[in-house]
Amino acid sequence: MAISVISLRDVRRYYIVGDFIVRALDGVSVDIGKGDFTAIMGPSGSGKSTMMNLIGCLDTPTSGKVFIDGEDTAGLEEDDLAFLRSRKIGFVFQQFNLLGRISALENVMTPLLYAGVGPRERRLRAKDALERVGLKDRMMHRPNELSGGQKQRVAIARAIVNNPSILLADEPTGALDTKTGEQIMELFSDLNKEGRTVVLVTHNVEIGMACQQQIRIRDGKVEA
Amino acid sequence: MFWENVKLALGAMKSNKMRTILSLLGIVIGVASVVAILTLGASVNASIKGSISAGGLELVTIYPTGTSKYASTFNEAFAETLKGEVSAIQEVMPVNSHNALIRNGQNSTNGNISGVQSSFAQVLGYEVEQGSFFSMEDNISKHQVVALGSELAKELFPEGDAVGKYVSIFRNQAKSYLVVAVMESKDASLNLSYNYGAYIPYNTYTSRFMSVSSVGSYIAKIKSDQDPIAASKAITSYLDDLIGSDNYSLFSPATLSEMADQITGTFSTFLAAIAAISLLVGGIGIMNIMLVSVTERTREIGVRKAIGASPSIIMGQFITEAVVLTFVGGVIGITLGTLISYLVTSAMGWGMSISVSSYLLSAGFSMAIGLFFGWYPARKASRLDPIDALNYE
Repeated sequence: MAISVISLRDVRRYYIVGDFIVRALDGVSVDIGKGDFTAIMGPSGSGKSTMMNLIGCLDTPTSGKVFIDGEDTAGLEEDDLAFLRSRKIGFVFQQFNLLGRISALENVMTPLLYAGVGPRERRLRAKDALERVGLKDRMMHRPNELSGGQKQRVAIARAIVNNPSILLADEPTGALDTKTGEQIMELFSDLNKEGRTVVLVTHNVEIGMACQQQIRIRDGKVEA
Repeated sequence: MFWENVKLALGAMKSNKMRTILSLLGIVIGVASVVAILTLGASVNASIKGSISAGGLELVTIYPTGTSKYASTFNEAFAETLKGEVSAIQEVMPVNSHNALIRNGQNSTNGNISGVQSSFAQVLGYEVEQGSFFSMEDNISKHQVVALGSELAKELFPEGDAVGKYVSIFRNQAKSYLVVAVMESKDASLNLSYNYGAYIPYNTYTSRFMSVSSVGSYIAKIKSDQDPIAASKAITSYLDDLIGSDNYSLFSPATLSEMADQITGTFSTFLAAIAAISLLVGGIGIMNIMLVSVTERTREIGVRKAIGASPSIIMGQFITEAVVLTFVGGVIGITLGTLISYLVTSAMGWGMSISVSSYLLSAGFSMAIGLFFGWYPARKASRLDPIDALNYE
């Protein structure tokens, strides 16, 4: 078996809502190998967002173990989680979530700032990343001057700029038209072929099936 | 990281100009009033001290006020005694004065007749315009000669050329005095006035003008290398021991000037403290706007956290924003306060004394307010749960 970049071992994540315990994830064990292109699929409320938050180091499990690139996230404080995200995870969101007041280039430079990279190198690497996603000539534009597809490309450049172990995308085509969505999927596919581990969270079967492998979640458990 | 935060802060301020201006108003008004009050205080102080010291800080006047008991102590020779007792004194001159009618032909006026020693003009730096001040010989021989103050000379001799002419001075009977000098105009100080005086030799005064044995006042000049305040204290302590503080009064411009310093200092500190309350109110305004800003940018905070910002980085971003905000407010306030001070001092003709310490104080204080009132909103931002923040609509 290939080396696991993501490894979930009997992961449970419970929330207390009023008098109820919501079992968002209820004993999930999953391995995703280095260089895989995986879709986590499931209807809304299935627990796939919870799983994405755990993989993205935004959250820690109630019980069980989450290993990201060999590091156990259990019991980590917020600062340590932030440090882990900064090195290991590149996020791509459905609503792009670019910072509005700064240029595309500055958006892409921001993760490097948080990772402690010096200003000259930040600029260089951000330019490379934007070039990689095909936005060399839009670097100085602000997000509101870009189309949806271009925004998502900036977001992908921002996600890959720090060379993370995992590229984690949450419904990345959800806010795009079909044609632009296909182009974005192509970009993910290309990035995967370059050796990047891509995890895509979606409820869209078509998008999910475009990935190499699928993990289906329902009611907090992995479907066989 | 610091400069990126400053850049972000300026960007946030620019993107919401009206709100920025309104929320800065409190700080601006607070800083402007602190600066204006301290600057005006310093200016008033300088103006008061200017008029106190105009006659020379080194001149101390002593007036015997005692009843007959000590009248004999205050004789002409006491001037020398005092000079011998207080080493900081360069010269002590006895002076006797009385008002009298002076006449030249049809022109007559009331003048202040002073019996002074021949060194009087030179010791006080009182310049002769025409003729020459009377000599020691005039004093010893009790000659009837007079040096006229500039205004007095003008009234008695409207055509000028007073020197060499005679004036009559009335005291019980008229006596003729030869005008030997007309003095230059000299501004009055708080304890000495010159231009309406007529100066005659001390001995002439006591024997021919008015029969007195005691001395009306002593003018002591402090040595230029001595501290006039310390010297005044030395004179005071000597006289207190000798005759008690009730029997004389002492007038020292240097001591008064020091008092003026204390009074205006206390007063402007007090007013500045009141003005500082408005800085506090301004700080609360900053806190309010920062809380709004944190709520508005919840999603941005979530994104920043997702792409690797730690809580302390987020905290730093918002603290910096608050401090930049108050710093800008401080700079505008300092400018405004200086402008107000400039307008007021030029309207009052005071001459503006810029108080650099007030600038540093208010700039520092407003930034401290940013730090203090920015801390809570920034901490709130830093503690946001990234998942909640990302899903915030």
